Amino acid sequence: MHDAQSYRSPTSKAATSRGLCLAAVAGAATVAIATVVTNGLAAPAEKPIMVAIIGAPDPAIMSLKHKYERPTAIPFPRDNPYTATKVDLGKKLFFDTRLSAANVLSCASCHNPAYSWGDGQPRGIGHGMKPLGRRSPSIVNAAYGEIFMWDGRAASLEEQALGPIKTDVEMNLPIDQLIERLNGIPEYGPLFQAAFPREGIAPEAIAKAIATYERTVVSGRAPFDAWLNGNDKAISASAKNGFVLFNTKAHCTACHSGWNFTDDSFHDVGLSDEDIGRGKFLPDVPKMQHAFKTPGLREIARRSPYMHNGSLPTLKAVVDLYDRGGVDRPSRSDDIKPLNLTDQEKTDLVAFLNTLTSDMGPTTIPILPR
Amino acid sequence: MKAIIAALVAGCICGGVVAAFAAEQTLSQKGKAFSQNAMTVKKGDTLVFQNDDDVVHNVMSSAPGSEFNLGAQQPGSKVSQVFSKSGELLVICAIHPRMKLTLTVVD
Repeated sequence: MHDAQSYRSPTSKAATSRGLCLAAVAGAATVAIATVVTNGLAAPAEKPIMVAIIGAPDPAIMSLKHKYERPTAIPFPRDNPYTATKVDLGKKLFFDTRLSAANVLSCASCHNPAYSWGDGQPRGIGHGMKPLGRRSPSIVNAAYGEIFMWDGRAASLEEQALGPIKTDVEMNLPIDQLIERLNGIPEYGPLFQAAFPREGIAPEAIAKAIATYERTVVSGRAPFDAWLNGNDKAISASAKNGFVLFNTKAHCTACHSGWNFTDDSFHDVGLSDEDIGRGKFLPDVPKMQHAFKTPGLREIARRSPYMHNGSLPTLKAVVDLYDRGGVDRPSRSDDIKPLNLTDQEKTDLVAFLNTLTSDMGPTTIPILPR
Repeated sequence: MKAIIAALVAGCICGGVVAAFAAEQTLSQKGKAFSQNAMTVKKGDTLVFQNDDDVVHNVMSSAPGSEFNLGAQQPGSKVSQVFSKSGELLVICAIHPRMKLTLTVVD
């Protein structure tokens, strides 16, 4: 799944021992936070402190936690339900470099499990080792996405799957040549027959198999989840403070909402860049100029560099961007504005983001058909 | 001349009859969701989208033969679309794609 302005779609988001006190506002979901002097650090209270019961479950925090509960199952679409044979075939296709014209690039080249299913580069590398226009997005939790690519030009994972293969600057293999090539690999035939007895080796079957495999790439349980489930020692006091900031003063949840930390919507976050993103498909919607899809934040600490153009090397740099409020222009989201975060608050936010890294375990590279 | 007048009168009456059958339904956009996720309208009906949110929305469909895009819809404003082709189409907000409406247009 590469996103490089190349593949075109037709159409075309606590109260802690360190001193954070949580104000539970009666009858409201909102909370106000304040810090008190500890460890030589101090910051002015944002709003009056109302409740600070060290060690007791706080109803306001409990309410916030409720918003982050993980789903119990992976969603698969009705027209492409899960089967084990599809996943097996899709995994082989995903890792097979013969899906590129030069036989050197596979889907996994840009969506490498060793890099949390991205490529660790500021921008993707395509056919002929040429740099692409945008950063390779991770496919982690793509099963839960609404529409795909940084600019949303793919309506489904199935639609997306074939795009990079046939795009000249990416894998550069026309679909008719792909079919011919797969037909020339004898061990692929039985795999397609098992997974798609009616279609056989066909573009739709390839797309469905790859999409089905991608939907199985789901982030594991992270320390944050353990904390949600009652293990108070699973994350640090700084991270707990960061969680509250994330939901309040830092305003992150305006976009990074829910268990996967995304609203699947499009926003201009004020990054200085000529790329208009979603605006290409919605030229008459001012707020969509320079707007890109909100990425989920699971495994985010292992997914640097950041933003659609890979311009920010660290999470600290990302927090600094949002603290400044980015470029003030008509398209900038109304949710983006200077935050006036303290250095400690920035540290706490990064500490919280670090708790979203799970142990996904090693990925077995498949033995490919010959 | 009488024939022409008669034809004009008949046309006006027929037009009035058609207009009487063309209905208007209103759908709210609130909490980044449509007030219904599925509904049925008759061909020729007008569907009005009322933005009851405090953010800009959009209404569009990429359904073949029924494509439309109503652009930027400011908070508090209404936009409308007449559906002239029968069938089922998916209507979304292109800014907030979780907003989905499955619309069935019947003859």
